[in-house]
Amino acid sequence: GMFVLGLPYAILHGGYLGLFLIIFAAVVCCYTGKILIACLYEEDEDGRLVRVRESYVDIANACCAPRFPTLGGHIVNVAQIIELVMTCILYVVVSGNLMYNSFPTMPISQKSWAILATVALLPCAFLKSLKAVSKFSLLCTMAHFVINVLVIAYCLSRARDWAWDKVKFYIDVKKFPISIGIIVFSYTSQIFLPSMEGSMSKPSDFHCMMNWTHIAACILKGLFALVAYLTWADATKEVITDNLPSTIRAVVNIFLVAKALLSYPLPFFAAVEVFEKSFFQDGGRATFPDCYGGDGRIKPWGLALRCTLVVFTLLMAVFVPHFALLMGLTGSLTGAGLCFLLPSLFHLRLLWRKLLWHQVFFDVAIFVIGGICSISGFIHSMEGLIEAFKYNIEE
Amino acid sequence: MGRLDFSTTESARLLLLAVFGVLALSVVLAEQEGENLSGLSNNPDKAIFAVRENGTTCLMVEFAVRFLVPYDVLALNGIDLITEQAAFTLPRGAEIEGTCGSTESEIQISWKNNAYTLRIYFSKELREKDIEIWKISKVQFVYDSSETSHFINAYNPGKHTASTHHLSALVTPAGQSYVCAAQQTLTLISSDHQKGITVSMYDVQIQPFDIASDFMFSEAYKCITDQRERLEETLPLILSFILALIIVITVVVYHFHLKLTAVQPVLPRDRSMYKNM
Repeated sequence: GMFVLGLPYAILHGGYLGLFLIIFAAVVCCYTGKILIACLYEEDEDGRLVRVRESYVDIANACCAPRFPTLGGHIVNVAQIIELVMTCILYVVVSGNLMYNSFPTMPISQKSWAILATVALLPCAFLKSLKAVSKFSLLCTMAHFVINVLVIAYCLSRARDWAWDKVKFYIDVKKFPISIGIIVFSYTSQIFLPSMEGSMSKPSDFHCMMNWTHIAACILKGLFALVAYLTWADATKEVITDNLPSTIRAVVNIFLVAKALLSYPLPFFAAVEVFEKSFFQDGGRATFPDCYGGDGRIKPWGLALRCTLVVFTLLMAVFVPHFALLMGLTGSLTGAGLCFLLPSLFHLRLLWRKLLWHQVFFDVAIFVIGGICSISGFIHSMEGLIEAFKYNIEE
Repeated sequence: MGRLDFSTTESARLLLLAVFGVLALSVVLAEQEGENLSGLSNNPDKAIFAVRENGTTCLMVEFAVRFLVPYDVLALNGIDLITEQAAFTLPRGAEIEGTCGSTESEIQISWKNNAYTLRIYFSKELREKDIEIWKISKVQFVYDSSETSHFINAYNPGKHTASTHHLSALVTPAGQSYVCAAQQTLTLISSDHQKGITVSMYDVQIQPFDIASDFMFSEAYKCITDQRERLEETLPLILSFILALIIVITVVVYHFHLKLTAVQPVLPRDRSMYKNM
């Protein structure tokens, strides 16, 4: 969700191609989400679709079934955990950074703001179900809506100065990979799709829901990016709210901090679930004893473990330098993998016999494009990290 | 009429006085000498300069300075002027001169055969409530844009002077030296089309008046940024301690909460329910 604020910067370096990429990425992510859910079902003898698999891990296990029954599951688990924990750390870093920039006169450094944010986030350790998390997500969406409305209202108020001629047709080859990264990773939601589909009351509505949500997201993001870029043209900054005048910026920053804090419970809860499912439950098959007591409430040491995870995200946020570049590095590996590479791979592997030719073509094309995005993002992030460390050492 | 008559003794006395005056002046001038002590600093960009008078130090300056000087360059089309920036640091091997006074001091640092000269003027004044302070009252930088090591193809090469207007920086109580590790920036307006020269100083320790002993700074007065840094360093430790405390208390309270509210399996006391089993 935070990446929407970086979309105008992507248009700055990508021009019309960036706009096209927003639409294209929406279509591709919608398609990969649908094929991922299609992997959950198998046809039984009557020809009806039965949901045989529950989660992404199950799909991965089924793909490597004959020779390595748990390898796929482990890979997906590790990728999921890395992606989710990095997202949590990112939110802590972002809230610390925003608070620091909003109150430069106070003697509180960015580290102290991150610790304060963690104190506010400690109650997340008590989350039990997706219901509570969805309430936070709703509040988060409302905060995001307010921010978008404020930015667009300001942009519309300067509609006379829009620079229509500044939208470029050519691509700045050095800077465009950044744009690709920002645009593609603003659509990633595949990790949550299996459990979301499982908890839907009418799973048949899934395709409809995917279509409508992606169309709406695509249109809103495209309009937002275009409008914001036209208002500031070449002066567009990496986070669009930095371009706003300071009075509106203070209000928007507060909403952004609220949004970052409210976005934290979702990946945190998902990461906790992944941890617990793989290590702590499954009734005895797992490595550690059960986290939950007989009456369904979490045991105190389970609570302590969750608090440890929160503190771990804080420590990573404080002590890891150049976090944005590191995030780009892991995002291009795990994010691209989980969103593009793995769904197409699993779809081809599991449903090979039933696929029509155009579906096979799409899957292979998505795999190849995802591979290219992933490799280019990886190289670019490594270059950025090496340069940043060299600059640090020279200083 | 008699007054116009200078006797020879009078003129001889005048001559002697003049000679002594010149000698004394040269002695005084020769006593104020600049010393470059930059070899003592461990930072390769940091320079240490001292002005000595009457066998003791009267002005000591220790800083690392970076200059950002914009200058005009002719564009490729031969018509437009592009503004380029020259960035360079104050070299350690500069020559220094200075004068000390009781309320006014000045230090002059020049390098590359006087192609660049930096002059800093200090003044001491009495503020209200009987507090005496010293400060930098003026900074002047003379640079020669025909000097090729930093200025490449300057359009109108020549010497330009950049000065500050109404400056009051580094305000320190009298008798103390000013210390600031953080970077401080001054903007000087140049005679070259009013361009803005940026002078950034960091790792600064300066004392222009009342130096008690030779080559020794008096008591240090820290700038506000450094004072805040100490607070900024201790605050995270305090906060993380509070965070750990909150976590421990929460887990312990939760543990006891579970114990106290453990639901006992209830056996039906009303045996009339048994016939429905």
